[in-house]
Amino acid sequence: MAFDIDQYTETSEGVTWEDLDFGAFDTTPLGEYTLRTVRYMCNVEYHTVCYLRDLLVTPSHKERDVNAFMTMWNREEYWHGEALAAVLGRHGITVDYDELKAARVKLEWRDKLAPLRQSIMGNLVGDDFVAVHMAWGAANEWSATAAYRRLATLEQHPALSPLLKRIGQQETRHTAFYATQARKRLEKSALARKLTRLALAKAWRPVGSSISDEEDLDHVMKHLFNGADGLAEIRRIDTNIAKLPGMEGLTIFETALRRHEMDWPAA
Amino acid sequence: MTRPDVSTAEPASPPAGFSVHEFARTARGSHRAELDLDAYATRPLEAGALEMVALLERLERGALSYLRSVLVTPTHKDARVTGFLVTWAYEKFWVADALELIVAAHPDFVPATADAPKLRAARHALAERLEPIRESVVANLIGDDVVAVHCAAGAIDEWITATAYERLAEFTDHPVFAATMTRLRDVKRRHDTYFTDEARRRLAASPAAGRLARRRLRRASWPLGAVDEPPPLVARLLGGLVIASDLVDLDARVDALPGLAGLDLVTTAAQGARKAAAR
Repeated sequence: MAFDIDQYTETSEGVTWEDLDFGAFDTTPLGEYTLRTVRYMCNVEYHTVCYLRDLLVTPSHKERDVNAFMTMWNREEYWHGEALAAVLGRHGITVDYDELKAARVKLEWRDKLAPLRQSIMGNLVGDDFVAVHMAWGAANEWSATAAYRRLATLEQHPALSPLLKRIGQQETRHTAFYATQARKRLEKSALARKLTRLALAKAWRPVGSSISDEEDLDHVMKHLFNGADGLAEIRRIDTNIAKLPGMEGLTIFETALRRHEMDWPAA
Repeated sequence: MTRPDVSTAEPASPPAGFSVHEFARTARGSHRAELDLDAYATRPLEAGALEMVALLERLERGALSYLRSVLVTPTHKDARVTGFLVTWAYEKFWVADALELIVAAHPDFVPATADAPKLRAARHALAERLEPIRESVVANLIGDDVVAVHCAAGAIDEWITATAYERLAEFTDHPVFAATMTRLRDVKRRHDTYFTDEARRRLAASPAAGRLARRRLRRASWPLGAVDEPPPLVARLLGGLVIASDLVDLDARVDALPGLAGLDLVTTAAQGARKAAAR
């Protein structure tokens, strides 16, 4: 799949919701169970800038296409946060900058080491490490798309489901960028394939796991991916990863979710 | 909402005038439809002006490099600041895009590249690689005061480049180009407002932040990113385009920030660039 960066930048925009009937949340409010998941998603979107940081400490940011993409991507994700915050706001849940800051402060130590570790790692192995980031980004975006799609299907809500569909469409474009970049870089280098496979197999965790309580993560995974349909979705995105050069046979999503004692049909 | 345990040196209240949400909602994207590039075919800009446009384009593209330095520090935890920076980077991307297209509308023009000697280039590359490592250690030890330094740096950089845009419009005497400069200058005005308000508020709240800012701002290259540019070009920006009385005015604005009087940053940067260019 080719990715046209000029076309992407020129059509990049913040997701809109003003035209959606948010009054539907007054007549058919979301339940607490669902709001907890939306809250998690909202946090993850707002925290994208923290992932951006991890990407920028590697040499990739000097490349023109990467630079352009990162700028647009970061802003689109910020708007996903704003949109989901608007949904939560309609239910009396306020997400504000002070609270987001508190969440980031709470991560203090775990977090402080991350950029240091990555800039050392990233700079030691240089370009090959960029491949790891791109594959990692693709994995994150695939799982985000799956999560939005699942929530839209589960809820069938007149306002939430169309909003999630719009967000999901933007995430699909992000996936296209990351996957194209990853494929190109993995094809070129055996070391990149080795590093990426190692990182994905050993270290991949669901998006947001580093910024959330274990119980919240557990809630979201079970809410979205329990049952036969949930498992099917997870296997579908695992297939996407396995198609990347050198990633054959990996099942990172299924492996990560099995830690949560999912309610899945026996194989 | 109960206020969580946030250890911070800054005053709790955000600046009253500036809404990051509003800024994000009304972000200015592509300028392509408004550039009237055909006008340059009949009336091109002179090479000297184009050299400055190309330089400003590269400096505007430095947004992600700035983000890179900022995000490895405690500044990244401040969601209001990062919320601003997300949109700021987006707007700067499109400012740079406009400048690039103006240069490209002059097919005969070949910009001077940053052809630094090899050794210097290698040293830069190494410094560039080490910087986030050093910064992530040092700035995390310093803590929240570093946010004030980043905001002050952002403000001063905006002041310098904004002056350059105004002078370029004036010196080129080209109505279409002047209209674009006015347009881009408008985009940058909100960046100026935000950074200046934030810097003033944070520096006023913490004398330690002021001391840190004095040390760090002195070490920076002005405008930000100038360290990667050929000294003759920087010298022309600070001392040809931005005239001597501008330098004095710019330094007076720095002086007016709490705790930053007497730094002479911009005048010193202009002198430094002139000396480096003569070598």
